[in-house]
Amino acid sequence: MGWNEPPNNNQDKDPWGNRGNGEGPPDLDELVKKMQKGFGGIFGKKPDKITGQGSPMTWIFIVLAVLAWLAYDMTYAIDQQQRGVVLRFGKFVTTMNPGLNIRLPQPIERVMKVNVGQVRPLTHRATMLTQDENIVDIDVAVKWRINDPYAYLFNVYDPASTIRQATESAVREVIGKSKLDFVLTEGRSEIAQRQQELLQGILEDYKTGILVVNVEMQSAKPPEQVKDAFDDAIKAREDEQRLVNEAEAYRNDIIPRARGQSARLREEANGYKASVIARAEGEATRFDKQLVEYLRAPDITRQRLYLDAMEGVMSNTSKILMDADKGNSLMYLPVDQLLKRQGTAGASADFNRSNMQNQASDTARQLPDTGSNRLRGVR
Amino acid sequence: MVARISIIIVLVILLASTALFRVNQWEQAIVFKFGEIQRSDYGSGLHIMIPFINTAKKFEKRLLNLERDAQRFLTKEKKDVLVDYFAKWRIADVEKFYTASSGGDINYANNLLGQRINQALRDEFGKRTVQEVVAGERDEILNIVTTTTTELTETLGIAVQDVRTKRIDLPDEVSDNVYSRMRSERVRVAKDFRARGEEAAERIRANADRERQVLLANAYREAEVIRGEGDAQATEIYAASFGKNEEFYALYRSLNAYQNSFRDTNNILLLEPDSEFFRYFNNQRGK
Repeated sequence: MGWNEPPNNNQDKDPWGNRGNGEGPPDLDELVKKMQKGFGGIFGKKPDKITGQGSPMTWIFIVLAVLAWLAYDMTYAIDQQQRGVVLRFGKFVTTMNPGLNIRLPQPIERVMKVNVGQVRPLTHRATMLTQDENIVDIDVAVKWRINDPYAYLFNVYDPASTIRQATESAVREVIGKSKLDFVLTEGRSEIAQRQQELLQGILEDYKTGILVVNVEMQSAKPPEQVKDAFDDAIKAREDEQRLVNEAEAYRNDIIPRARGQSARLREEANGYKASVIARAEGEATRFDKQLVEYLRAPDITRQRLYLDAMEGVMSNTSKILMDADKGNSLMYLPVDQLLKRQGTAGASADFNRSNMQNQASDTARQLPDTGSNRLRGVR
Repeated sequence: MVARISIIIVLVILLASTALFRVNQWEQAIVFKFGEIQRSDYGSGLHIMIPFINTAKKFEKRLLNLERDAQRFLTKEKKDVLVDYFAKWRIADVEKFYTASSGGDINYANNLLGQRINQALRDEFGKRTVQEVVAGERDEILNIVTTTTTELTETLGIAVQDVRTKRIDLPDEVSDNVYSRMRSERVRVAKDFRARGEEAAERIRANADRERQVLLANAYREAEVIRGEGDAQATEIYAASFGKNEEFYALYRSLNAYQNSFRDTNNILLLEPDSEFFRYFNNQRGK
């Protein structure tokens, strides 16, 4: 530890030097030379050379040299982010704040510089057990700084490794008290918070003088060995949503169609209603008109209508006219055969028709000859 | 004069180096008199002793560290767990410590302490399940272990401030089982998610189907109502019109019906020519 590094430019800060000779800052080299000369006077040479009191100049130089050295040794510059812990014969005296400080010269007092401003990082990455006996990979970053230089130096042996141990312990303890799902999902920040509290608690218990600035869970993930299963579970969550979406899509597909279909049913019904009414009105009006004419000449109209209608019926249908005397000889009429022909008419209508025509014309030809038994089929 | 001064200086330095000793803020010291402990209650700072008769030995006053590699402990359900821990202790009674630890050897004390803590941990782990050890009773175990070391203050002159576990892990061969269990658990979760998805989807589909059916049925009902209205109105119109002359209506309607029903040529009429229609068929005078 550099507790007695000399500050730079000591000449400028040297109040005694200036006061001493009044001729500007003393030259260091010169001083050293003079010191050597002075000490040489004491130790190096036999005392016979400078017997008696020695020259007064020599003594002045010695005194100046000692003063200069003292000035150099006693002043101490502390950086803004540092604190200087002053020990007098090993015993703590005071803490220096940033700026220029003065201490007693070596070996009486020493200064241990401690950097309290610097925020130091510490990362811890490990695989650990959760409360539900699952295994999880955790990566934690801790940021810490020295809060109390006295405590940091004098209370715990090797504080840096202590914070590492405490971090490991705190991280594992908090994870060990949490469930896997909580660690992996919503619990992250809460866990980091608890880790920070626990870690700070441990460090305070040891009086390390360390302040935990922040604990951050960089990552918390399932171990590589089970990663695919975890990924699949996440995919399943997505699948759940996908299935729901597909069903919604189905719904969106059929409901509007059904509405359209409903509309069609209604429209058709409206169409039917309108057409039925229109037809009714039409038919009624037709009837009304005819009725007016009928009432003018009921008998003849009745007759005409009847005949018109019967003509229509007769001209459109196949007919068999039987003009036999009642109770006369039995007549064979192959109605069933005729009907059978009618039945297959759909398939071979043309054949039947021509067949019947032939038959009809045959009968027609016979008609004038056979006067009594008339069987007539006219098409 | 100078010689005298220099001799004095040398003597002072010699005396200072043998008769003075410095105790740092983080240290404590014992002064021996020919090997026998004479005094140990020195504060930090500069102290005097008699040269050549007294010797001084300094010890740490700070919290010291004991760290042990992972060891296997058996839990209640006979599962192995790997545990490593660290302990923080300090020299509480420096005289006892010096005496009991073969000259103040910190490693010796660490070994002794480690054995004691191991033993205590083994006992406590043997009473608990893995779950309790990992989650529930960590603090409790550590407190018990710390307490069992208090007697070391008497025997060894050391005070244990804290014992903390770091890892409590399952050994590798068990880890595989844990992994497969975790895997199966995830499969369970995944299946659950998918089935829930299916469930929700089925619900939505069924709901949609129902909605469609209801829509169509309602539409059918409305359509039938409309048709009925149409029919009713038509009937009313017919009735109003046809009711004017029922006789003529019967004729009119019958004739229409005859025409409509015998429209097909395939119909066969079997007739006797004595109906009104055939009035002039056999007789031009009409009977």
